Amino acid sequence: MGKDECKTMLDALNKVTACYRHLVIALGSTSDSQNLREELKRTRKKAQELAVANRTKLTSLLKDKSISKEDRAEYERLWVLFSSSMELLEVDMKRSLEIGQDFPLKVPTRHLIQTGMTGSTTTVAARAMSVQNMKYEADSNIDTADLRDLQCEISQVSQMMEEMEMKVQVAPWAVEAKQEAGAELKSNMSVGNSSVGVISICEEEPKEEEGGGSRDSGFASICAVVIFLVIVTVAVVLGYLVINMS
Amino acid sequence: MTIRNPLRDHGQRYRPRIACLKKAEKVLLEMQDLKTGVKSQPQRLVITTIPHAITGEDIIAWLADRFQVDTQEARSFGSMLVALGYIYPLQDHKRLVIKPDASLYRFQTPYFWPTQQWPVEDTDYAIYLAKRNIRKKGILEVHEQEHYNRLHKWMNHKWDFIVMQAKEQYRAAKERKKPDRVVFDCQERAYWVVHRPPPGTVSAMDYGLDRLIDPNADEAKTPDFYARIMIFTQQSIMRPRVKSSVSLGALVKYCATYNNHDPFLSKCLPSNPWLTDDVTYWTLNMPYVEIPTKMRVERWTFSFAELLSDPRGRNDFRLFLKKEFSGENLAFWEGCEDLKWGEAATMREKAEHIYKTFLARGAPRWINIDGKTMEITVKGLKHPHRYVLDAAQTHIYMLMKKDSYGRYQKSPVFKETVKKAICPEEHHFTDAQLEQNAKKRRPSLSPIILRQMEQEQRAKMAANVDITQLCRFTTPVPHLAVYSGITDFPSANASPSLPFLAHSPACPSPISVALDSTSASERRVEAGEGEGEGNPAAQAPAGGNVSKSRMALSLQRLLKRGCTPATLFASLSPKCHSAAGTSSRIQPISPDQPSQAPPRRIGNFFQIKVDIPPECRIYPIESEDEDEENRAASRGGVGAKEIICPWESLTPQNGTG
Repeated sequence: MGKDECKTMLDALNKVTACYRHLVIALGSTSDSQNLREELKRTRKKAQELAVANRTKLTSLLKDKSISKEDRAEYERLWVLFSSSMELLEVDMKRSLEIGQDFPLKVPTRHLIQTGMTGSTTTVAARAMSVQNMKYEADSNIDTADLRDLQCEISQVSQMMEEMEMKVQVAPWAVEAKQEAGAELKSNMSVGNSSVGVISICEEEPKEEEGGGSRDSGFASICAVVIFLVIVTVAVVLGYLVINMS
Repeated sequence: MTIRNPLRDHGQRYRPRIACLKKAEKVLLEMQDLKTGVKSQPQRLVITTIPHAITGEDIIAWLADRFQVDTQEARSFGSMLVALGYIYPLQDHKRLVIKPDASLYRFQTPYFWPTQQWPVEDTDYAIYLAKRNIRKKGILEVHEQEHYNRLHKWMNHKWDFIVMQAKEQYRAAKERKKPDRVVFDCQERAYWVVHRPPPGTVSAMDYGLDRLIDPNADEAKTPDFYARIMIFTQQSIMRPRVKSSVSLGALVKYCATYNNHDPFLSKCLPSNPWLTDDVTYWTLNMPYVEIPTKMRVERWTFSFAELLSDPRGRNDFRLFLKKEFSGENLAFWEGCEDLKWGEAATMREKAEHIYKTFLARGAPRWINIDGKTMEITVKGLKHPHRYVLDAAQTHIYMLMKKDSYGRYQKSPVFKETVKKAICPEEHHFTDAQLEQNAKKRRPSLSPIILRQMEQEQRAKMAANVDITQLCRFTTPVPHLAVYSGITDFPSANASPSLPFLAHSPACPSPISVALDSTSASERRVEAGEGEGEGNPAAQAPAGGNVSKSRMALSLQRLLKRGCTPATLFASLSPKCHSAAGTSSRIQPISPDQPSQAPPRRIGNFFQIKVDIPPECRIYPIESEDEDEENRAASRGGVGAKEIICPWESLTPQNGTG
């Protein structure tokens, strides 16, 4: 159905927006690198594709005059979701342009800010692109070359948003949200992903961090141990049978 | 190339510029240098080690070294960097100050740097709160919970998006390694502490109101634009020019005089409360303190304006004037100030009250202003507005400044105050004491309470007003002449009625205007005449002289009408502003006046000789004349009202006349 398609596409766009934000936050800091710039570029392109797809779909749905009132309300809600996502994306793109210009990678006198983040953002980008591993094949001057593309893309996105505002007659304030306050606490972790460990922040909450950490790695290690034992047991049993047989 | 989208830009970028941000960013970048920047060390948490932590003392040392300043200033600079959000503390994250010890800080990532170009969105804050909700499993801090509820109410239409985005961001964050996750959480939290400060703290990014127009934009060249330029240039030409040597001299003199009194340029005794958190300075300099400080008293000698603007100085001056029996000047001036700055609703009553108390003939606290000013004022009082008493106020101000101020500075009152003034000792606080002071900080008196105190003071002042200055009228001629309306007067002072004919603005036509068109002045003329006629006609007060005086009045008016062209001609003479000249010409016109003057004068004289009559006694005696005047002007039923306000004669019930 059109609605479900829309929802999945919106979910995808949402995911990419969130990942893009994480990547932009890492710009300019010590976790910045060639790879990060390439990740930004690829995520951005994907976001734009999704945006265009979403937009065409939603506009076609909304233009349809023959839909029922509830359907229309639902589409309007989806439209508000879409436009809010696009707003976030646009701001993040503009900021990445600004920070990218301020922090070129190749200039040795220009230092990156020592924020304490040193790891790479590969996993985040992989999540955004929905791939297992990221492959990096960009040139070495991606930080400057990409900026021009970025500018074009930003103007494209801005244009798209203008058109959206002009053409689609949806009053965003009239939309009622389906989720109530505190909804984020429910149906948590629906996408199966690691444990429900509580991430601690700083020295102020060391205990929880410890608990979370150990729980995280413990689970994996316990699984591994269990599987190993199972395999060993099976091997022992088979060996015993073989020996018995012979 | 800056991406600008004028269509969707709602003008919110034109804010008061926080220029220090760009400069702070440069400093930040210098601090990053591995060789010459701030030394960093790893932060050891329980199982992870996170690099790039810096200690407070290292930051302060580096700043002091780089900018060649002392530690105190480096510390303030460091605190500013922390307050703006470029560096955030790892322990005690809510207090954005630099501690000069081994407490740890870290640099903020450029995305979270404070910037005016990207306003802090409520959507982002809502997403952050939702994420925090997830992490803390529903237990937010009180102010965060309040914000959350409020945002949920006002951003309800976006709430689905916020929840979705919060969950996605939370999951994306989990993709990173543990140390990076910790750092990211610290960064985000620090960012929101700066931009949504917890209650009781202030955000360093507060910049006041947003501007609606871009100050750097080019203005469209409309006729209106050019009209404004023309008006501006015309006014510039008309402005009185001062030689630069004169104005520079004034500037130099000002700087030299106020140098020692400036808390930035010289020491603030006992200590500057903003630096040491000790409020002795403020308690010693309260508005109505008993014993002022030496510096404050010295400021009173700089200029009259300084003396008047300081409430304690004004009290002192008032005391001096009371001894000199010229307190009404200051009271009038204060009344005018009250009118200028007060509420519009009570303006009319205030103006009336001031007129009755200070300006009218026979007022209890009559002030000494010249006839021209009086005429302008009374004319203006017909349609009272805020600045109607401006001319009179300026006159009285200059009078006080030139006359009383000099005498005040030589008076025993002032000398006594100077002798008693205190000079507090300077404080020398140790660091521990400074910390103590910071802990003992309390909010000062609320402005509501201060205003109540001020109003009480004012009420007390009003209650204490004494009319003793009437005693002045026992002294001979100048004031009597004023009061009784003798026409050949030496000074510019004159009684209200006559000079309305004589003292007119330079051009003659306003006189005719004043005489003919303005019915009030007509009435005044009539009143003056009527009074002149009424007195011989009715020796006894009140009573049935009404008809008689009315008759007399109409007769008189006929005569006077014939005479008014003469007055016109008289006033058309080029030097009409010369008081004596015109008055001498007018004198023959109203020959009755001088004959009336002596009996009136004697009458007044006797009146006044009755020493300090209480207010209630003045009015009945006065109202004798006033009543006649009233009836002469055919205004029935004014019985109880003592002093006429000229504008009130315009009221429609006084139709006959």
